Amino acid sequence: MIVLEMFMLVILAFIIGMFFLGLSRKIMARIQWRFGPPITQPVIDIIKLFNQDSISHGLLFNFGIILSLAGSIVMVFFLPMGGMCPMSSSGGMLVILYIMLLGPLGLALSGGEAANPNISIGISRKFILALGYEVPLLLIFLAVMTHYGTISIVEIVKMQSANLWSFASLPLLLSGIAYLLILPALLGERPFELIKAPQEIASGPMTEYGGKFLALVTLQHAFHTFVGISLFVNLFLGGASNPGYFFLKMLVVFILLIFVNAVFPRFRIDQAIKYLWKWPTLLAFIGLIIVVIVD
Amino acid sequence: MTVEILLAIAFGGAFTTYFLSKLAKRAGEVFAVLISLALVAIVAYFYNSSLREIFYTGFMGFPLVLKMNTLSWFFAITITSVGALSVIFSLSYIRGRERTDFYYLMLLLINASMVGIVVSGDLVSFYIFWEIMSWSTFLLISYNRGPALNAGMKYIVMSIIGSVAMLAGMLLLYSSYGTLTIAELSGVMTNASPGYVLSIFILFFIAFGVKNAVWPFHSWLPPAHSEAPSPFSAILSGTIIKMGAYGFLLFFYVIIGLKKFLGFGPSVFSLHYFLCWLGAITVVIPTFIALLQNDAKRLLAWHSIGQVGYIMLGISFGTSLGVAGGIFHILNHATFKALLFLTVGAIEYRTGTRDLNSLGGFIKTMPITFIGALVGTLGIMGIPLTNGFVSKWLIYKTLILNGKPFLAFAALVGTWGTVLSLFKFVHNIFLGQLPEKYKDVKKAPFSMQLPMMVFSFIIILFGVLPGIPLKVINKIIVSFGLDSLNINIWGIASETGTLNTINIFAVIVATCLVVWFVSKAARRSKIVKQEDNYAAGTFVPADKYQHTVDFYNPLYRMITPYLRDFIDNFYMSIARIMQNLFGVIRRIYTGEVGSYLMYIILFLAALIFAQIKWSIW
Repeated sequence: MIVLEMFMLVILAFIIGMFFLGLSRKIMARIQWRFGPPITQPVIDIIKLFNQDSISHGLLFNFGIILSLAGSIVMVFFLPMGGMCPMSSSGGMLVILYIMLLGPLGLALSGGEAANPNISIGISRKFILALGYEVPLLLIFLAVMTHYGTISIVEIVKMQSANLWSFASLPLLLSGIAYLLILPALLGERPFELIKAPQEIASGPMTEYGGKFLALVTLQHAFHTFVGISLFVNLFLGGASNPGYFFLKMLVVFILLIFVNAVFPRFRIDQAIKYLWKWPTLLAFIGLIIVVIVD
Repeated sequence: MTVEILLAIAFGGAFTTYFLSKLAKRAGEVFAVLISLALVAIVAYFYNSSLREIFYTGFMGFPLVLKMNTLSWFFAITITSVGALSVIFSLSYIRGRERTDFYYLMLLLINASMVGIVVSGDLVSFYIFWEIMSWSTFLLISYNRGPALNAGMKYIVMSIIGSVAMLAGMLLLYSSYGTLTIAELSGVMTNASPGYVLSIFILFFIAFGVKNAVWPFHSWLPPAHSEAPSPFSAILSGTIIKMGAYGFLLFFYVIIGLKKFLGFGPSVFSLHYFLCWLGAITVVIPTFIALLQNDAKRLLAWHSIGQVGYIMLGISFGTSLGVAGGIFHILNHATFKALLFLTVGAIEYRTGTRDLNSLGGFIKTMPITFIGALVGTLGIMGIPLTNGFVSKWLIYKTLILNGKPFLAFAALVGTWGTVLSLFKFVHNIFLGQLPEKYKDVKKAPFSMQLPMMVFSFIIILFGVLPGIPLKVINKIIVSFGLDSLNINIWGIASETGTLNTINIFAVIVATCLVVWFVSKAARRSKIVKQEDNYAAGTFVPADKYQHTVDFYNPLYRMITPYLRDFIDNFYMSIARIMQNLFGVIRRIYTGEVGSYLMYIILFLAALIFAQIKWSIW
């Protein structure tokens, strides 16, 4: 039963993630007055990439990317979606916080073995940016956990369906806004696209990937996008009792994200950190203080 | 078997090793390994035993007591295991250096005295073993000479201040209660006045805080850890600084007692809350200072302080989960930090350097060492499936559920600092470009690989099956008077959030396998050399530049101005002022008999004047 649920969740996350990738290219194209590729293009790309030749720099190069993708997929099991959450009783949000780390860490280990300067710069930026958005993210997580008095995300969703969405309830409003402000950084979209930055550092950590590695890293990106948005929907938009409704909520957030992505140019890394440690952190900090005072 | 025999073997073994090494070096080495392994076995034999014996009565009127309970056993087994593994590591590390007999003597003596500390049942023998440990540690820190002498000096000065504070605390206790055995002291302070408890507390806090390197007393640690020989750094960071934590546990929960400790002071400004904040500061500041280091061992040393912060946070928070997490973190930190120091030791042994900016690419030449470093790194970061995760989870959970999110925030941000700097550690040593001059570096010898493998195994074992150590820890916290936890072999069950590491393990491994099969199904990739790199039409030249230098440069530029170790600067300025002052006082020794004669006459004149004026005698 649990295995079946997991299987379904992975398929759903895969479809939604890939759909989002296709959709983002489509909407970006329309904003730029182009037609853009068909919405299934990312799936076609992945199938194509799996059949292409690739080079490898050693065992860790292969293993790191597998760990990265696996880490992102495992996250899906920890997040409730439409009433399904197979790993609900295995440590809650504190485990989620750490498993979110497996994705970037695997990618960084894999890229590290390739000994390419572009990759080193990309990894370094990735970790600095991660430190940048983790500070407000941790404050947000703590505000939510303190407010609901639990570390289980299923419980948090349950309490929201009984009362208000966190986003609509006053103590957590600021935290919700802060989450929206750091969401592009969490997903590596513009204005925080500096990790890949194809024009400067030849797509950073992905420089050496070709063929199946590129396919795996695209999949990782799809799952990661799913996870980042799903976390927001679960924590602030009350989750959902069925997958369709859940998907709708995710879609709204994602389209918002694409608009930001389409409009803003890229930050430099120090500008990104300054931004992340200023407004989102301030909002999240005040949010946490409010939560501590109210409860 | 009694505890005396354990101590007799520990101390006797140390000295026998010394004399054997004088006769034949090899015999000394073999005996050192045997005696340290025997100690592990003997300590393991005491599992679940509760002993208390007076082994000497006439020591200046004090009875000397030895005890063995779960708390002592837990620390003793950690000490002897880390000690044995680092003795094995020392075999090839220290061979070929001079004074190896002295090295083994000191190493074993330190282990023996630490076992002595945890089994002593009264403060007098505690203090004796404590001093043996402090002084032999000083001698081993300075083993390398050069900058190590300064490091050792800094350590011993602070250590003496701590010892003096402890001695004063003991005198204060003895003068009011007339006993120094721990069993009789426990709970006597329930009705003591707050001022009295506070003064006792401050004295013992200085004593244990210096050894534990809690934030305002941390400044001896970075130079000492980085200049000591690597296998000894493992012991220093793994177990010696944990003696401070043992002292805290003993003092908070056995001597002062749980109720008095938690209820001391007005609510928000209570003592244990103050200690928690000290722990939080100890987590954050040193961790981010560690990020700036370019010396591998110095980086790890600063992290030792940071991890001590977690331990302090856990044990002084005073809830079942918190204390259990803190005690578990003591064990975990001993394993992963010892492992990390050993990997640096192996690298240093093969290359002669530990400068993070000049190494790189050793995954190709030293794979086992890399695995050790990776596991240690994951452990200290607290990634699920390593033991560090479980202990940190316990601490975070209790902080959040007891409504202290800001403490939890400090601890979590510290974790992210750890992630950044430990990734830098792994990346700069093992990943990236392998410099030409290290192309022919050989693997670490087996005697170095073995301890690293054992430590890696322990880290993952206790990460997947945390119930094994947590069962023992549960007994300890129950003996402190805290509520028992619902421990299972896979973690902790509770209404407010269950931790199930076997589930996490299964799901991660299964997902990795599935992804692996998927990537297997695709076309095989071709293995290429490290020079075969994409660089926009040109090539990446070998050895022309090191792209691991200044790994987080944009971040350094932002945070460096805020991360001065002003505590150390403060101590050093005090030291300079004292030096100048004593320099002035020293001038009275002119070396001329005439002036000494003058001092005597002046002194006599002063005495006569005092007698005439006030007629004292």
